[in-house]
Amino acid sequence: MSVGFLLIHARPQRAWSAILSWFLFAAGLAAYLWVAQARHRENPEDRVTPTLAQMATGMYNAVMQPAEEDEAAPPAANFYDRLSHSMLWRDTRATSRRFLLSLALLIPAVLLGLHMGLFPYVGVFFLRFVLFFDKIVALSLLPILFIAFGIDELSKIMLIVIGVTPTIILDSFNLTRGVPPEQIVKAFTLGAGDFDVAYRVVLKQVAPRVLNSIRLNLKAVMLFLFAGEMIASTDGLAYRIALLRRHMGMDVIIPYVLWVALLLFLVDFAMRTVNRKLHPWFHEA
Amino acid sequence: MLIHIEDVFVAYGSPPRAVLAGINLEIEEGEFVCVLGQTGCGKSTLLRLILGSEHPMRGRILVDGREHHQPDRTRGYVPQKYSLFPDKTVLDNITFGCEVSEFGLFARLTPAFYRRRKQLRAEAFDYLQRIGLRSCDAKKYPDQLSGGMQQRVAIAQALMTKPRILLMDEAFSALDPGTRRGMQQLVRDLWKATGTTILFVTHNTDEALRLGTRVIVLAKESVDQGSRIAMDLSVPAPCGDEEIPSLVRRLELVSESCAL
Repeated sequence: MSVGFLLIHARPQRAWSAILSWFLFAAGLAAYLWVAQARHRENPEDRVTPTLAQMATGMYNAVMQPAEEDEAAPPAANFYDRLSHSMLWRDTRATSRRFLLSLALLIPAVLLGLHMGLFPYVGVFFLRFVLFFDKIVALSLLPILFIAFGIDELSKIMLIVIGVTPTIILDSFNLTRGVPPEQIVKAFTLGAGDFDVAYRVVLKQVAPRVLNSIRLNLKAVMLFLFAGEMIASTDGLAYRIALLRRHMGMDVIIPYVLWVALLLFLVDFAMRTVNRKLHPWFHEA
Repeated sequence: MLIHIEDVFVAYGSPPRAVLAGINLEIEEGEFVCVLGQTGCGKSTLLRLILGSEHPMRGRILVDGREHHQPDRTRGYVPQKYSLFPDKTVLDNITFGCEVSEFGLFARLTPAFYRRRKQLRAEAFDYLQRIGLRSCDAKKYPDQLSGGMQQRVAIAQALMTKPRILLMDEAFSALDPGTRRGMQQLVRDLWKATGTTILFVTHNTDEALRLGTRVIVLAKESVDQGSRIAMDLSVPAPCGDEEIPSLVRRLELVSESCAL
């Protein structure tokens, strides 16, 4: 080997790349198991670091049993009935509903950004205000939202909207501005009207970049959603995590955290795949 | 008179610096006019004025007897870069003009649209052959084509809507010399076949002489003055290879002596 293996010109082999890229996962898992075992040897009642078996039981109960007794499925219920009444399913459904609702509310934000970038009057009307709104720390508005909208769904959705839409508006505004003026002039010389230019030329061109920008902001959506759920909610994944904290229910909290990460990864992956399928012409720079 | 430019003055920046001053120009239907000049002499500005994407500070520009305040279908446009829509295939790029001007946003959902699109696609295939692309290129996206091929498609796209004037802004300046010669031949042939009036902006004197029936040289007389038309040369027949070098020298002399 002529090139040192830690240097810029090093070329790791495939097998090595695979091993190295999974190493930290394995090390993390091993470290956890070791700590858990040590703590359980000292105190069999330890609740801070549940063993894998405890987590599996906790998760089995979460998947198979309802959170509250009165919601129980009839005793003779089959597997799917029990699943659909279970704690995990209900929490996931509640959180997903809020999540998807917030994503749907980002569509008008994208359209507003597009119009701001293309139509000068819309731009001057909204830009300064959106820039101002973008600087407000959304979480600091939470008490105001709870006072104004009550502690039900609306205030949580509003928190996400206020927290994320300014970013999305400004992003789509900038992406729209980034479309070369030649393209717009060309469309007009081919006989397009203003709205043809907006929706058939510019929106189609910025769509893959806008989707990417939404994808990067999923984390922020989740952050605001969890903040809202933890503070004021009666269901949802974050509500459950916050609730179980009081009982030190680490055997459910840890799997829940991993479940949320998995869900977010799947949403991100789905959006990436859809983006690639819808826009085969687009190559990320 | 197709294009009538009357005492046009344009300045940019603050404090304003004149770019074009006292431009008077008449262009007849069917002419092939090349606008020559050095970088920054305002030749692209002149083109954008005719296009309607910029407006003169003084003077008037009449196209077909009327002032235009924004670009529209009467004037086709082929810029140097970004001339094709990256999200559309070659075929869709060519048919886009006719589709968009005949069908509104929602009229695309009617069966009439699909019938018409079939016709348009057949016509587009015709153009594809005329500009020298193979039919297997129709399904490609612009960034899968070379620069020369992209400009060929851009010309076909502009000609599909049958504009009365075709405005080309340094359309071949990013191409290598070999490709360029082929493109010049193509434009000259299409001009003869369609009879479209063409205004071609270039900084290449050789190209201007090979293409145009008329060559206009824009040049500044002094640094703080706007460009004027320094020379208006009519080229009745395309120049032969042996005349070109001496003509090029003469024209470049005009363009440079004014700049001093």
